[in-house]
Amino acid sequence: MSKFVADNSRIQITETVSGVDQTVFDTNDDMPHIVGTSQINNQTISFAAMSQTEHQTVQKWVEIPGYGYQYIWHYRWAIDPAENSSIIDIANVPTDEDNNTIDVDFIVVQATGTRTVNGKDPRFNQALPSTIPSKTFSFQGSVLLEASGEVNGASWMRRIVSIYRSGAKIKMKVQESIARLDRDIEFYKFNAVNPSAESKFPHIADTASTYSLNITLFFGKFRQ
Amino acid sequence: MAVVLNITPSRFRASGSKLDSQRRYIRKGSSGTEFKFVTSQNMDVSDGGLRYVDPDGNNVDDSVYNGNFSGSAGIGVKV
Repeated sequence: MSKFVADNSRIQITETVSGVDQTVFDTNDDMPHIVGTSQINNQTISFAAMSQTEHQTVQKWVEIPGYGYQYIWHYRWAIDPAENSSIIDIANVPTDEDNNTIDVDFIVVQATGTRTVNGKDPRFNQALPSTIPSKTFSFQGSVLLEASGEVNGASWMRRIVSIYRSGAKIKMKVQESIARLDRDIEFYKFNAVNPSAESKFPHIADTASTYSLNITLFFGKFRQ
Repeated sequence: MAVVLNITPSRFRASGSKLDSQRRYIRKGSSGTEFKFVTSQNMDVSDGGLRYVDPDGNNVDDSVYNGNFSGSAGIGVKV
């Protein structure tokens, strides 16, 4: 059974389900609704290439069965740790008829994007996994763009983007966190031409990534 | 032709059924909420790791996150 009540600036509809009256609509409740939208096309998100540093070089004689004493070079290169963050304004919060900023309660982000520069994992000749789907997607708050892990599964790199309101502006915050990642290589003296260069992360120059997003912002309130 | 107003003992419809008692309109609630609207940044990164703040405001960290980001709970709604 349904009940409809219109009384003194209030409309309420209830539905009886299994003998229990449930409110399905009530103008006395705060109900989410969209008060404005904003379109931002070709918004670019860029991450620079990582860097590396040589940390250790050990040269030593070691005895190898069958080969006698051999001269060994042990090289350790490491990805330089970095915490990078940038914040830009991408839109204004909508205003009312008196040109006052509307106090919006939430923002729904709808985006369609592509990765225009496919950053590579510095260890391998393959692109960093991207979580951006090829079709339109929605989110509130933040979204993970790229991540990479060590052999044991522990994360060593994350790239994210957040879209949120600050006063009368909509901010886009891009963050990247890179932990130190070591690469240890040993060479016998006779089988390396340039062991220092050969022990580097081979694809570190290709670790930059760029995204281009078309973003629609839906500004919402619970009560006018 | 769209239904302008239709009232029966078991159903209420108005405005072309845009308002219909058999639908569930989401409403803000202080208790008994069933999901939440996230209202701000809800992820952070540090030391190569990630903190995710779930809609209830709880921090969910991976094994390496070492930051101090503080997110907030979303706004609860019920249907």
